[in-house]
Amino acid sequence: MISKKICLLGAFSVGKTSLVEQFVHSIFSDKYLTTLGVKISKKDVAVDSVAVTLVLWDMEGKDTYADVNLAYLRGAMGYLVVVDGMRKETLQAAMDLHHLAEKLSGKSLPFYFLINKADLVDQWEVTDAMLDSLDKKSIKFFRTSAKTGQYVNEAFNALARDMLLASRA
Amino acid sequence: MAGDLNAETAAYAPQGDDVSCGVGDHGGAMEATGDVRAEFWQDIPDAPDDAELNELRKLLLRREQIALEKLVRQEGEKNYHIQQVSDVIAEAIIARSGRDSQLRMAIEPIVDATLKNSIRKRQQDFVNVLFPLMGPTIRKSIAESFRSMLGAFSKSVEMAFSWKGLRWRFDAWRTGQSFNEIVMLHSLVYRVERVFFIHGDTGLVLAHMEGEGVGSLDAEMVSAMLTAIQDFVRDCFAKGDEGALDTLRMGEFSIFIEKSNKAYLACIVRGTPHDSFRTHLRETLELMLVEFAEDLDDFSGDTEAFSATERYLESCLVAHYAGDNEKKLPLWAKFMPVLVVLLLCGGTGYYWYTTDRFNTTMREAVQTLRLEPGLVVSHVERQKSGPWKVLALKDALARLPEDVLRRAGFDPSLFEIQTIPYLSYDASIVTKRASTGIDVPDGVEMTFDKGTLSFRGTATMAWILETREKARSLAGVEHVDMRDLRDPRMGEIAEMVRKIESVRVEFPVNKDVPVPEDTEKLQKTVDMLAVLEKRVKEMGMVMTLTIYGHADATGTEKRNYEISQARARTVAAMLYARGSSMPIAMYGMGADHASGDGGAGSASADRKAGGSVQADRRIEFRVYLARAVPAGTEALLQ
Ligand SMILES: Nc1nc2c(ncn2[C@@H]2O[C@H](COP(=O)(O)OP(=O)(O)O)[C@@H](O)[C@H]2O)c(=O)[nH]1
Ligand SMILES: [Mg+2]
Repeated sequence: MISKKICLLGAFSVGKTSLVEQFVHSIFSDKYLTTLGVKISKKDVAVDSVAVTLVLWDMEGKDTYADVNLAYLRGAMGYLVVVDGMRKETLQAAMDLHHLAEKLSGKSLPFYFLINKADLVDQWEVTDAMLDSLDKKSIKFFRTSAKTGQYVNEAFNALARDMLLASRA
Repeated sequence: MAGDLNAETAAYAPQGDDVSCGVGDHGGAMEATGDVRAEFWQDIPDAPDDAELNELRKLLLRREQIALEKLVRQEGEKNYHIQQVSDVIAEAIIARSGRDSQLRMAIEPIVDATLKNSIRKRQQDFVNVLFPLMGPTIRKSIAESFRSMLGAFSKSVEMAFSWKGLRWRFDAWRTGQSFNEIVMLHSLVYRVERVFFIHGDTGLVLAHMEGEGVGSLDAEMVSAMLTAIQDFVRDCFAKGDEGALDTLRMGEFSIFIEKSNKAYLACIVRGTPHDSFRTHLRETLELMLVEFAEDLDDFSGDTEAFSATERYLESCLVAHYAGDNEKKLPLWAKFMPVLVVLLLCGGTGYYWYTTDRFNTTMREAVQTLRLEPGLVVSHVERQKSGPWKVLALKDALARLPEDVLRRAGFDPSLFEIQTIPYLSYDASIVTKRASTGIDVPDGVEMTFDKGTLSFRGTATMAWILETREKARSLAGVEHVDMRDLRDPRMGEIAEMVRKIESVRVEFPVNKDVPVPEDTEKLQKTVDMLAVLEKRVKEMGMVMTLTIYGHADATGTEKRNYEISQARARTVAAMLYARGSSMPIAMYGMGADHASGDGGAGSASADRKAGGSVQADRRIEFRVYLARAVPAGTEALLQ
């Protein structure tokens, strides 16, 4: 059996918890998350007919990303950085967290940016120009919506596949 | 021959049950008889076809011929009935055993006797089959009985006359402790219920194992949570410090963690393990780290390599009961304690019991501590000068020993009291534990008496179920009595079930869609079932529905089963179409012979004549309710 630890990073209220909820119905209640600062869920997926168990660590920050407990990043095999499309400052936070994660893990792990709340795209502050600059840095991203489910499965599955390839390499 | 005729008619009646094919009740029987007759004559050579001879035969053998024919017919009928019964026996058993316990009661003595007989005859076979199963079971039941012994100290009396009992009495006398305290200390039971081997960095579970009879948990989640908790604790309390979390406690359970930088072992333990358990864990982990060093370094999520850790994990699933360490002693040793007791009584004992006033006061103080619920004085050391040293076990809910002494008018500073946490089974402490652990809503009264925690009043089913689980895991609670606890909504549910079960929906000839008069009734019942399902779910319960489809007595049997099943299926489909998610069992009962018995009037007459009866073409419902069991907690609920 193959298991993978994935962390969800991102500023407060960008939709990390909602994305996980959309992807998997989690069984541990929110009580744990407020005390521990992390919420753990599990989902079994199949990547090219290989069964993989994803253990998702949804890190909780209260105000900014700064108070996220980065100890939880230890041992992650991949991560998702979530941005709230309606607040452009969360994109900067995402970049910072991404660099932090790279530094902490000491190697480059598979990751994706999720530009979330795509159902409200007309109210987005994050512009196409900003996203182009992500492209230039070869940061791959999905425009997701935890509300409609748009690209949520795709994002998690893409990450799972990248992680599987990384561990085979 | 009538039998042949009947077979043909049946073959030409593709319309099924509801088409009368004009054959009387015995048509089937004769068909079968016909078959048997043919079979019967098969190996007998043909008699010469001679008219005179035949006449002679008639004259001479008439009686015998008739008798023979009768015999053959009887045999045929028997075969026919066997055939009939064998067609429906499985369904009939299922249907009947769902309804009441009579069938079970009828079969039980037969099965019992058969089993006994065949065990007697083939003992070795049974031993071979059962041995691998029995070992663990016996172990489990021993564990159980010792556990209940812990709760009921009265059992200690039984120890009085054994060698061990004698030794303990001596210990009690020597140390000045009560006999019960000694028994408790010696009977401490623990059991390792689960063990997880967890990768240090990722918190992913590499391998895990459960003890006998322990329900399964989601290992991935548990191990990730454990890792998160450790990270959290390290972050909050031990910043920069080497100190790591090694034990977590919750009620009767504790989690023992043995850590290294690469991986750790976590054990869920019931009771208080021996010190040596910690050592065993450490040694096991060290061995595992050596054997799996490379796999641990290269770990990237694939746990395949770690299936070989099984034997290590197994060695951690230990259980310890009172009496495990009994060694065989030589005969002379058995007389030693008696000798020692005599000696002590005669000599040193006298000195021990000559006391001065001070010592008396001190002893009274110790006695006060002993009487305090939730405190167990396990060791008292008198000092020549300075405070006496007292070692006591203390339940978290017991009063502080210093307070107890002060309130009783003793000076606590005369003692140096050290306490070890333990779980008390004292009634007053268990009561306290129950009232702190369980949130009792208005309308519910909770009492604790002789190991039984009782509840009476009204509460929601969700609360009842949750509390039942909680109450059972409270240390010191042996039984939970909830017979007088009701969810008032249960009455409404029972009423709905009664209504649903009394509904009969009838069908036209050879159709699986109800007669127009009953369409609305069916729709209403389906609505009611949907409401019931919702209510039941709200109450934290699950329901299963059984639909019995019936056909009338006409037509072929095969078709009757088909149509009766189709009727049940139609209704199930209606329910599923409405988004129902309850399990539905469907039974096609075929033609319903039973319902005609004793029936008066035209229906019964029609039936007799082999006619079709609308009242027979129907479906009926049975509803079963059960408590929903959250995944992984089955074991807790037993
Ligand atoms: N419209 C919309 N709202 C979202 C979406 N994702 C999250 N939200 C909302 O954003 C808020 C914060 O979400 P949450 O998952 O708690 O964010 P977290 O702090 O990153 O875990 C909640 O009110 C969500 O309902 C989305 O895709 N679309
Ligand atoms: Mg969140």
